[in-house]
Amino acid sequence: MEDLIKKIKARLILCPEAEDFLYSISKEKTLPKGEVLIRQGQVVKNTFFVTAGCLRSYCTDKNGKEHTLLFAIKDWWISDYIAIHTDELATLTVECLTDSKVIEFNAKELDGIHSLFPEFEPYQRNNLERHVVSLHRRIMNQLQLSAAERYDLFLKQYPEIEQNTRNFHIASYLGVTQQSLSRIRAEKVRK
Amino acid sequence: MRALQIISYGEIKDSLVFNELSKPAVQSNDVLIEVKAAAINPIDKSIILGNLQGLLPIPLPSTSAYDVSGIVLEKGDGVSNFEIGDLVYSRVPQEQMGTLAEYVAVNSAAVSKKPGNISFEEAASVPLAGLTAFQSLEAAGIKKDDRVLIHAGSGGVGSLAIQYAKAQGAFVYTTTSTTNLGWVKALGADRVIDYKTEDYRGIAKDVDIVLDTLGQNHTLESFEVVKQGGIVVSVVGPLDEASAKMLGMSDYKLPEALAKASSNKKAVYKFILMHPNGAHLNEIKSLIEDEKIKPIIDKVYPFSESIEAFTHLATGRAKGKIVVKVS
Repeated sequence: MEDLIKKIKARLILCPEAEDFLYSISKEKTLPKGEVLIRQGQVVKNTFFVTAGCLRSYCTDKNGKEHTLLFAIKDWWISDYIAIHTDELATLTVECLTDSKVIEFNAKELDGIHSLFPEFEPYQRNNLERHVVSLHRRIMNQLQLSAAERYDLFLKQYPEIEQNTRNFHIASYLGVTQQSLSRIRAEKVRK
Repeated sequence: MRALQIISYGEIKDSLVFNELSKPAVQSNDVLIEVKAAAINPIDKSIILGNLQGLLPIPLPSTSAYDVSGIVLEKGDGVSNFEIGDLVYSRVPQEQMGTLAEYVAVNSAAVSKKPGNISFEEAASVPLAGLTAFQSLEAAGIKKDDRVLIHAGSGGVGSLAIQYAKAQGAFVYTTTSTTNLGWVKALGADRVIDYKTEDYRGIAKDVDIVLDTLGQNHTLESFEVVKQGGIVVSVVGPLDEASAKMLGMSDYKLPEALAKASSNKKAVYKFILMHPNGAHLNEIKSLIEDEKIKPIIDKVYPFSESIEAFTHLATGRAKGKIVVKVS
């Protein structure tokens, strides 16, 4: 939690009351590999800041196949934001791919922090902007890049993630079959 | 709920009907699964024909089939390893048989999360055949560089056994007919023997393990190809004495010819009685997710055409598994 507080302090002047409030709505958790934090079809109350390990969010289609939306490693946030912002049930599952440590926040209280401490307003807006940018990039890459280019970009952006995930997790993130991913990898080795 | 039930022993079309039943009750260690897909196996056909009345007595009417994939809808108080909403697959225990239904209650010890990279239909096709292949080759003590003969490589058990044996680093011989040579080879078998044109006994010699999925003369012949001190595991041949004892036949003796063939080769003969096991399914799940094992499906039928699915199974010509999409 101290690390997160430091990161927040680098971007805004954090008063002791706001710091106390952050502590009051959060809980540090150590989680084993395979632990599920959010389950598709259930109510979502929390959002998670990752301090160690690797998690992923994914949805399961009507045929039972998984599609990975996001990986989260140290210093990333992860949750089901559709559920949080629309009050619908979770459309995503969030699971730990490795033993992990997270700080769990009550999402509604964290979202509402700017009403108690207005200095959080630009901070939260900026976080949201970054999130929108990253999502738009992901959609554009999906639309215009080849599978091999998307894999190259994935390796550049998230070198640590590859070591913690399985072939099918990455294939389901890139939107390619496992066979295609194996072929892309083999071609990279030959080059 | 709607369920396909066996109402009498005999011909498929006379023995199966759709009935409206209440949802099964959930015991403390059970999960209630909303069935997405069920798969049918040769044993389901044998039960309907009445061939297993002595070994597996079932009350009539009973809902048919053992293999299932679906979603956990309810759970008993004693279940801690599954949550509502989990996607699962199972070969249900004998006393809970009945996966050709909208819901089935299953002891959670027989259940595993389903592999995430395959569909419900593919997942339902795996449990019974996959557990049989896994438990047979594990009972044989399979290890890297073993030479293994797997009979009927295009069958439900054979096709998964080839892939499991290759995942363990074995050299695999398998038998199949001319029309299946190509796709059986693609499963990874090192030497595919066309039984219509070749005699496997001249090709697979001194193997460490034979997996007999055919029975009859093949069980005895297995001892011609197994090495001195090797092992023959059979899923259809005569019972061995240990399995007979488990089934309450304490004075059972192995047929004389088999006992003699086994002793001549100082080889072990084991009959494998597949048992439902969620932990084993979980290991198979990892192998599927790593693409070491790929389910092979012949055809998927809608629930309303389940009886046609059995008629197809009865032809014995399916290449891979026959699956019923329930919802």
